[in-house]
Amino acid sequence: MTDRYSDTGGGEDPGQKSLQSRTLGSGWCALQRGQKGKYIKHVAPARSLFTSPCLQKPQQSGSTKSAVTLRTRLLVSVAIGGAAVGTWYYLRREKEEKKKLDRIKQLQNMAVGQGDFNLLDHHGRPCSKKDFRGSWVLMYFGFTHCPDICPDELQKLCSAVSLLEKEPTVPSVLPVFVSVDPERDNVEALAKYVSEFHPRLKGLTGTPDQVKAVAQAYRVYYNAGPPDEDNDYIVDHTIIIYLVNPDGLFTDYYNRNKTDQEIAESVKKHMKTYKSIFS
Amino acid sequence: MSAPSAQQRKACWDSRDRYWQCLDDSKDDKDKCQQIRKGFEDNCPQTWVKYFDKRRDYLKYKADLQSKGFEPAKNS
Repeated sequence: MTDRYSDTGGGEDPGQKSLQSRTLGSGWCALQRGQKGKYIKHVAPARSLFTSPCLQKPQQSGSTKSAVTLRTRLLVSVAIGGAAVGTWYYLRREKEEKKKLDRIKQLQNMAVGQGDFNLLDHHGRPCSKKDFRGSWVLMYFGFTHCPDICPDELQKLCSAVSLLEKEPTVPSVLPVFVSVDPERDNVEALAKYVSEFHPRLKGLTGTPDQVKAVAQAYRVYYNAGPPDEDNDYIVDHTIIIYLVNPDGLFTDYYNRNKTDQEIAESVKKHMKTYKSIFS
Repeated sequence: MSAPSAQQRKACWDSRDRYWQCLDDSKDDKDKCQQIRKGFEDNCPQTWVKYFDKRRDYLKYKADLQSKGFEPAKNS
């Protein structure tokens, strides 16, 4: 032991020295580990610290032992780490799913055209949303005394319906006109008005409260302007054409910039992708 | 008062277009268009006349805005 120590301590062979120091290091390391109590069994007795096997094959024996343990440790760490990451990922996904569901619920609460409406058609018959079930509907809100925009838009709507009528494979679309001027637009006034646009155009009116309810459901703003000496007035209102699918659900809308052809094309597209949620 | 029929609407719009054309041609000299203005007022409900007068101002303002860009009012 001393011989070897002095031999190497002579420092003639740098390689030997380095081996020595490595051996010392690894032995010391093993001892240290041993002191911690985990690897005490595997440590060579102190007497043979610098002889076989610690000296001759110190690296090999040490590395096999620690390789096994390192692998176990790695596996355990990976398992625990993986489980933690997995749990975190799962929880995050669950949270995201919940967020998505909440958003859908919020959107449903805000959806256009919810609930039913109770109005009279231009024949004086009661009409509610379920009467349109099973039919595509293009819907417009306006008033019969409207100077220019309503007749233009209604003409456009009916023209789109006529364009679609020309195609035999396309299901029929019902044009609907809802009055936002219930004070003046009674059943007779509506009947006269709608007949000028399309034979199937359905006029709807009701009491001021009923009209208010349907306008609110479809997010339509309307406000009667100041009356003149003839008690004539103009109603300012939202100019939007709505597309409602056979389930009675709001599907799309068209503003003034859309032409009759663009509307007809869009309706056809929606018909192709439509799947009833009730069947 | 019942709403104008499709025919009445068309008559009103036609006379409105004539009046607006006259204003365009005479560079908004209303005196030169008095006769045509009369036809416009005869063919359209009073509220519509007021509405179309405002609408012409609005459309002109809109056209100016699009061609010349925004010009702040002189007294502001």
